[in-house]
Amino acid sequence: MLETRDLTKSFGAMQVTRGVSLRLERGERRVILGPNGAGKTTLFNLLAGELAPDSGAVLLAGEDITALPVARRARRGLSRSYQKNTLFDGLSVEENLGLAAAVHCGQGMRLWGDSLARPEVREIVAEVAEMVQLVPHLHARVSEVSYGVRRQLEVGVALATRPSVLLMDEPTSGVGPEMARGFHRLLADLPRSLTLLIIEHDMDLAFDVADTITVLNYGEVVFDGLPEAARGSRLLQEIYMGDWSDA
Amino acid sequence: MFRHTFLRYAVLALLAAAALLRALTAGYFGLEILAEILILAILVLALDMVAGFGGMVSLCHGALMGLGAYAYGVLCVHAGLAPLPALAGAIALTGAVAWAIGAICARAHGIFFIMATLAFGQMAYSWVFETPLLGGDDGLGGIPRPDLSLLGIDLSDSRSFVLFCLAATALAYGAAVLVLRSGLGRSLGGVMHNEQRMRALGLTVWRVKADVFGLSGMLAGLAGALAAMQVMYISPGLLAWTTSGEALVVVILGGLGTLVGPLVGAAAFVTLKHGLSGVTSHWHLVVGLILIAVVMSRANGLFGWLEARWGARLDRRLADATREDTPREATNDA
Amino acid sequence: MTTDPGFWLLQTLNALQLSMLLFLLSIGLTVIFGLMHFVNLAHGALYAAGAYVAASVSAVAGFWAGLVLAPLAVAVIGVLLYGGLIRRMRRSGPMAQVLVTFGLIFVALDLTRLIWGDIALASAMPPLLEGRLSVLGIDYPLYRLFVIGLGLVVFAALAFVLGRTQIGAMIRAGVDNDAMAACLGINVERLFFIVFCLGCALAGLAGAVAAPLLSVSPDMGLQILIPTLIVIVIGGLGSLQGAIAGSLVYGFVQTFGAVLAPGLASVLIYGLLAAILVIRPTGLFPAKG
Repeated sequence: MLETRDLTKSFGAMQVTRGVSLRLERGERRVILGPNGAGKTTLFNLLAGELAPDSGAVLLAGEDITALPVARRARRGLSRSYQKNTLFDGLSVEENLGLAAAVHCGQGMRLWGDSLARPEVREIVAEVAEMVQLVPHLHARVSEVSYGVRRQLEVGVALATRPSVLLMDEPTSGVGPEMARGFHRLLADLPRSLTLLIIEHDMDLAFDVADTITVLNYGEVVFDGLPEAARGSRLLQEIYMGDWSDA
Repeated sequence: MFRHTFLRYAVLALLAAAALLRALTAGYFGLEILAEILILAILVLALDMVAGFGGMVSLCHGALMGLGAYAYGVLCVHAGLAPLPALAGAIALTGAVAWAIGAICARAHGIFFIMATLAFGQMAYSWVFETPLLGGDDGLGGIPRPDLSLLGIDLSDSRSFVLFCLAATALAYGAAVLVLRSGLGRSLGGVMHNEQRMRALGLTVWRVKADVFGLSGMLAGLAGALAAMQVMYISPGLLAWTTSGEALVVVILGGLGTLVGPLVGAAAFVTLKHGLSGVTSHWHLVVGLILIAVVMSRANGLFGWLEARWGARLDRRLADATREDTPREATNDA
Repeated sequence: MTTDPGFWLLQTLNALQLSMLLFLLSIGLTVIFGLMHFVNLAHGALYAAGAYVAASVSAVAGFWAGLVLAPLAVAVIGVLLYGGLIRRMRRSGPMAQVLVTFGLIFVALDLTRLIWGDIALASAMPPLLEGRLSVLGIDYPLYRLFVIGLGLVVFAALAFVLGRTQIGAMIRAGVDNDAMAACLGINVERLFFIVFCLGCALAGLAGAVAAPLLSVSPDMGLQILIPTLIVIVIGGLGSLQGAIAGSLVYGFVQTFGAVLAPGLASVLIYGLLAAILVIRPTGLFPAKG
């Protein structure tokens, strides 16, 4: 479904992505692990098109999308959420979801009538609100809801474009371990048809949702396989042990 | 996205009533001032659309207005078109030019956007000066007003012309509200809040900006054509960047991003200008000081200040009064 | 005429003279912007103030006294502005700053009219620089050569201060990252103040230098503002190289455009600006990457 071939990116003299090749099947749920500075977010930016790679290719559903800009990739079903909330703060939760759904339904450029009042848009908003448990908060402004709810909305907005592949950059970043568990149950309940690629900082949490695990270190794939194998991996533990202090 | 509040409706009704009353009772000089206010009102509506609702602070709206005036003038005087088709042509042409400027400037932000629009505005200004067809320095004279004798209206009469302008302003306001409340207006709001996210959702951001800029340009073109009709003469000075600067000042003094505020600002600005010029020749000094005071006070202009003080309270009281019998929903259970 | 080498030399000198005048004006504006992210549209008004002070002083005490006093007087205006307005506007967005300084333009315009009247003042050249000098076969006004020389001297001095001295290093650090500079123990607020006043003084100097060349009128500040803004946007905000490069581009395009393609000259420079903003939105030599 989503594939990268030998993806490389440098900032000046620093190589942050080194020949990353991944392959996700349809419906696969993969978690990317790695310490700070391993190049996880850079990889996401390369996948979503916010950065252009120095070399290598990104393929979505078998088609090369390396040259496509962000918006065109999104319209092909590649959606993402951000590590830092990237929401429309002055608007309500419902409007946040609605804006995303409206773009998906091709109502974003409509000159006549409110896009958020369209039945197909409302349908998506209701469905996504149910999925990420935002129904009680729909009418609250983003600036009024708690941080945890905003994290849910961050994923909800990405879901409202009805993607086939969803990239989630540390969806539980900044929430407590108890809430993070709940969040992961929520992710586990997402439709199986959706292909998920999730960056996760916390190893234990990662095992809650992952079908497969990829470990990045210094921009390189150092492990690629099943969670069981990852759990026993010395390499992974070595990389991770040093990271607990600054987590 | 734009919402009407009780306060906005109230001020709007007040403005409309006052304008109508003045239009029916004022003498010649009062009518000229009113026409000036109404034309400026259309220009600042156009500017507020892009600056207040899209974060695109334009310094080329004066030039767009001038372009609309010249387009109307040339289509009437040189191409021999009847005034009404010429008006439509002028609006369309200005809209097209504005769309192109919006598309080219879409990547620029903040001070760079301001500078880029300034550059395009000045380009048009210099071009007009150096084009013999447009009369260069001398301007363009002999501009006709539309002939509405079929409806029994004689626009060469000041009062009828002011009523015509009032109708145009009402139409422009309606158009601006419709655009801002449409899907496009929603997207524009999203882009202003968070451009990166809108792009990641699949929106072609530059198209949204260009489309709204083009629509705003159409309103500026309408204002320009009306200005040409009013004095039946066009001077290239209309395109100077100071016209755009003044329009921006009016939007700020009125209240950015409120649509109603800029209308208040236009009325206050023109009235102040004519009132002061009778007393002192240094009215710029007064306007400058007021501008500095308003910006330093951090209020969103005259109307914004009013809204911050009364708007929420009025709406709440009104909502309480009308929703007395419906059960209250819990909104804060987070 | 275009085959005559004298013509090219003459126009080159004209272009250089315009460039240097713009450089004196734009360097202050661009460094203030780079360091404080402050857009001072009233910079042109400071230049006009400098010209007026110079014209008034030189009528009584001679050109050189005016040349020295004008920058000082404008620096004092800068101190007042900084204390009264600028410091309070530091934390507001660019929009508010643009508007406040736009209001200042209005105020300054009428204040100069109140003090000096509506009629343009003439300012005499110093007797020492009144003549013409023969340069490679053409006669060129000595005063204009003086302007070119002064611009080059100021450029060299600023390049030295910014590149080789401690305060220059502090300014560069501040332009690069003011939060970081503050962490390094640099008193950023005081640095801003010094740079702002210096920028004002340079604007005053530009006004004093321009006074004998142009007529001193209330709207001269408004007229120079747009070219100055074009210079700093073409050059890239915040850098010395940008200011000199932008000034040269503007001076040469404007001068040669006016003689080679008179109908296109002014459209040309705006077209160039638009093109640069589209292709390189941060200008030719931006201070930051």
